[in-house]
Amino acid sequence: MTTPLLDVENLTISYRIGKRWIPAVRDFHLQLAPGHVVGLVGESGSGKSTVALALMRYLSSNGRVESGGRLAFAGEDLLSKSAAEMRSIWARRVKLVPQNAGAALNPSLKIGAQVIEVLYAAMGIGGAEAEQAVLGMFHDVNLVDPEKVADRYPHELSGGMQQRVVIAMALITNPELLILDEPTTGLDVTTEAVILDLVRGLMAERDTGVIYITHNLGVVAQLCERVLVLYAGEIMEEAPVDQLYAQPRHPYSLGLLNSVPRLGQSKADSRLHSISGNPPALAQLSSGCVFADRCEFVIDKCRVDKPPLEQLGDGRAVRCFRWEEVDASFLDPSVETSYQSSFHGDGEEQPGRQIDNEVGDKLMRVTDLKKHFPVAKSLGDWLRGKTPAPIRAVDGVNLTLGAGQTLGLVGESGSGKTTLSRLIIGLQERSGGQLELLGMDIRNSVRERSPDVLSKLQMVFQNPQNSLNPYLSVRQALRRPLVKLRDMTPAQAEAEVSELLRRVNLREDYADRFPDELSGGEKQRVVIARAFASDPDLIICDEPVSALDVSVQSAVLNLLARLQEEHGTAYLFISHDLAVVGYLSDVIAVMYLGQLFEVGAASDLFQPPYHPYTEALVSAIPVADPEHKAERMLLHDVLPSAQHLPSGCRFHTRCPRKIGAVCEEEAPPWREVDAGHAIRCHIPLEELSAQQRSFLRPEEIG
Amino acid sequence: MNPSSFGRQIAALRRFAGVLLRHPQSALGTALVFFFLFVAVFGAQLAPYANPNDQSHAPRVSPTMDIGALQLGEHPFGTDRLGRDVYSRVILGAGSIFRIAGLGTLISVLVGSAVGLYMGYRGGWFDELLGRVIDALLAIPALLLALVLVGIIRNLDFEIGSWQAELADNVVLLVIAVLYVPVVARVARSSALDIKTREFVEAAEIRGEPTYYIIFREILPSVIPALVVEASLRFSYAIFLVASLGFLGFGARPPSPDWGLMVNENRGGFYQLTPWALDFPALAIAILVIAVNLMSDGIRRAVQKGN
Repeated sequence: MTTPLLDVENLTISYRIGKRWIPAVRDFHLQLAPGHVVGLVGESGSGKSTVALALMRYLSSNGRVESGGRLAFAGEDLLSKSAAEMRSIWARRVKLVPQNAGAALNPSLKIGAQVIEVLYAAMGIGGAEAEQAVLGMFHDVNLVDPEKVADRYPHELSGGMQQRVVIAMALITNPELLILDEPTTGLDVTTEAVILDLVRGLMAERDTGVIYITHNLGVVAQLCERVLVLYAGEIMEEAPVDQLYAQPRHPYSLGLLNSVPRLGQSKADSRLHSISGNPPALAQLSSGCVFADRCEFVIDKCRVDKPPLEQLGDGRAVRCFRWEEVDASFLDPSVETSYQSSFHGDGEEQPGRQIDNEVGDKLMRVTDLKKHFPVAKSLGDWLRGKTPAPIRAVDGVNLTLGAGQTLGLVGESGSGKTTLSRLIIGLQERSGGQLELLGMDIRNSVRERSPDVLSKLQMVFQNPQNSLNPYLSVRQALRRPLVKLRDMTPAQAEAEVSELLRRVNLREDYADRFPDELSGGEKQRVVIARAFASDPDLIICDEPVSALDVSVQSAVLNLLARLQEEHGTAYLFISHDLAVVGYLSDVIAVMYLGQLFEVGAASDLFQPPYHPYTEALVSAIPVADPEHKAERMLLHDVLPSAQHLPSGCRFHTRCPRKIGAVCEEEAPPWREVDAGHAIRCHIPLEELSAQQRSFLRPEEIG
Repeated sequence: MNPSSFGRQIAALRRFAGVLLRHPQSALGTALVFFFLFVAVFGAQLAPYANPNDQSHAPRVSPTMDIGALQLGEHPFGTDRLGRDVYSRVILGAGSIFRIAGLGTLISVLVGSAVGLYMGYRGGWFDELLGRVIDALLAIPALLLALVLVGIIRNLDFEIGSWQAELADNVVLLVIAVLYVPVVARVARSSALDIKTREFVEAAEIRGEPTYYIIFREILPSVIPALVVEASLRFSYAIFLVASLGFLGFGARPPSPDWGLMVNENRGGFYQLTPWALDFPALAIAILVIAVNLMSDGIRRAVQKGN
């Protein structure tokens, strides 16, 4: 490394809270050479976005970089620059791509005009020349039909397209440093895969240095060369990416790696590792190691002295007294083996995996369920006497779910997963079809259902923040379903509240807390306890862990798995994270544009033959293993509108395996692979198997 | 209510008061409002002459108050042309303005928020229909609507002492309530629309909770901050309206010591004779309206900080 592009040393960043300055990031180091990619990994509150802003000298007015540190960009000291000098650097040389691309674009300007504006402000290029440059850039970021995109407003683009526009906007001035702050969080895996490929390709072409900030270890493994692991504002570990994954040296890195469920891992094989406890409050840090309270390797010394960031050579550094004792042997071995066995499909049936839908207690049966949202007539429609086509969010879904089973529902956003779950729970009225629970016909909406039915069906929501009433204590939240649905007396309910809290691993004194006194993971535990309060047979979990940090996610998944075992409760589990769905599910259904395209046992679903759509979803997952940068099957186009559905097979507009006119004209048949595993595709199964095996070799993924 | 939630409310109230009183303007406004409230409640004890219509004093006495010497004298604000003590009349007038504006605001907030929360939560044709009615009511200028309502009720013939007559006497109070119900309802409705999409409301629906439970137990607590702000704003408008109606002769009837009425009675040619008889009630109206406005600004700030 000659002159590094970015040379940061001893950087401490503080925020003013009330009258005190709280150091949010302490003693930060970073070296970045041109053309390289460094990953910054951390959970919420770890200070990773603060670092990004500080590196750009773009902290809000209540934040400051403490003196004594060094922040050099291409040999120039940024800390001594004036605001005007910084502005010229921001305009051309350093660019930030924020998480929420929608908010980064001006809603009242056309896309093309906004990007031209950037070009004009930075380099004084305008007119036809700028237009050409912008269209060229749009082409480079794989935007289909650049002219049309340039002529649209931001709200007319999908999230993935908006993100590509923002990346184009950042790259158009040929910056030397690009900071990407969680650019794919909130996007579908299929879109994420496209964006990651794009960033990787662009980096190879240009000599731009990239800092990639994320909480997703899979993304880091796929994209970065070096990784910095941040926790509570301090670097815990720094390592080349392959070494970090093969041999983590810090207990926190180890915990993070172990807590991510791998594709193919199942609740039947093992519990997930989790890191207990919560991150410390920045205002009350102890003198010792910031991770001491949650560390499995903690010794007395850790609580008193702060370990230094030790350089281990080879560009590795770790902040731990006991790093020599931490090594690869602590990486969960059961994960690896179960992963492989399920992928090779060695034929051994795992316990709890039988999905023979014809035997066993049937809990719920959904027949031809439909939800069509009517579209309001426009004036033109009135004059022409036309009725616009309805939006067919759910369009003929058949499902069976056995008692105590988990049915995983996957698909991109807009595929109708959430609408389907809301029809079942009764928050939305269905347009057609039947719903049976324990052999009884279930009425449309919650208002018409008897308390008996209500108590059997419960729900865990995506956002724990909004799932609890901020003005009711935990006790009040848990007592209500007990009194309402289980007819308990106040005294009985009181005892049961404690019992419920115990079952979700919360102390009894949590009963008197209010939601704002709980962390995200604790809130979700309370929500789960509330769902279990009425002793339901089926709980609908709509993305229950996607709003939680990685280290908390696994604990909540373990909890759900354990409660299911103890109570024999069935779950309808919705998630965009296939590894998470795979871990908890017995059966998985793949949904696209309101219809199911594949249903099968969780173990079967991740190996060929699968539906081309499933294949695309599976191949898009960023695997948390830098050794396996799998070739991806990318889906480029956006999801068609559910109002104007494609003819024939609904997937044909995006299908990479489309065989011809038959896909556009005829609805595909269901083809049965084996008992309980069926695929809806025109391509014969043998052909699918043959093609897909050659595409995804087990040794390449596993 | 369990002890912890009670403690929380005390703490929240203390935080609220802290933010409210930190800004000098809102602290001043709040202090003045409480001063007027004190005068309103203890008016009978504070006024030197308990009967505001006592005409036994010498007429047209100029104010005897000497601020430098901290002396009030016999007639601090002077006497009007009929020989009534202006100081006593201003003090005794505070009670009626607080009663009418305060009660009117209270009724409009209670009714308006119930209506608005139900509209917002229920939605559909009910919301549509009532929404149009509210829009229509809001389109009519407040003072005009007040004049029409007062005019109608005043012209009805009631037996003296009957409850209808009692009602007619409190017509301004009712007018305020009627005028502000749609305004408050609109605020409550828009807040309810926001809150009802939160998952905790859906969780209550999944439990099969009845509508009143969802509205009052789940949605209302989150809407209260917005309602408090709106109530304080309505109160300041109400005071202004009471004074305006009094001035126009549609409020309290002579000889009651109503501030607006006093301004009306002493304007024109009489102003040359006894300017103080107009100045002091007018000053009282101005100070009170400004004070309530400053306080409601502070309340808005404190509520926003609290969230």
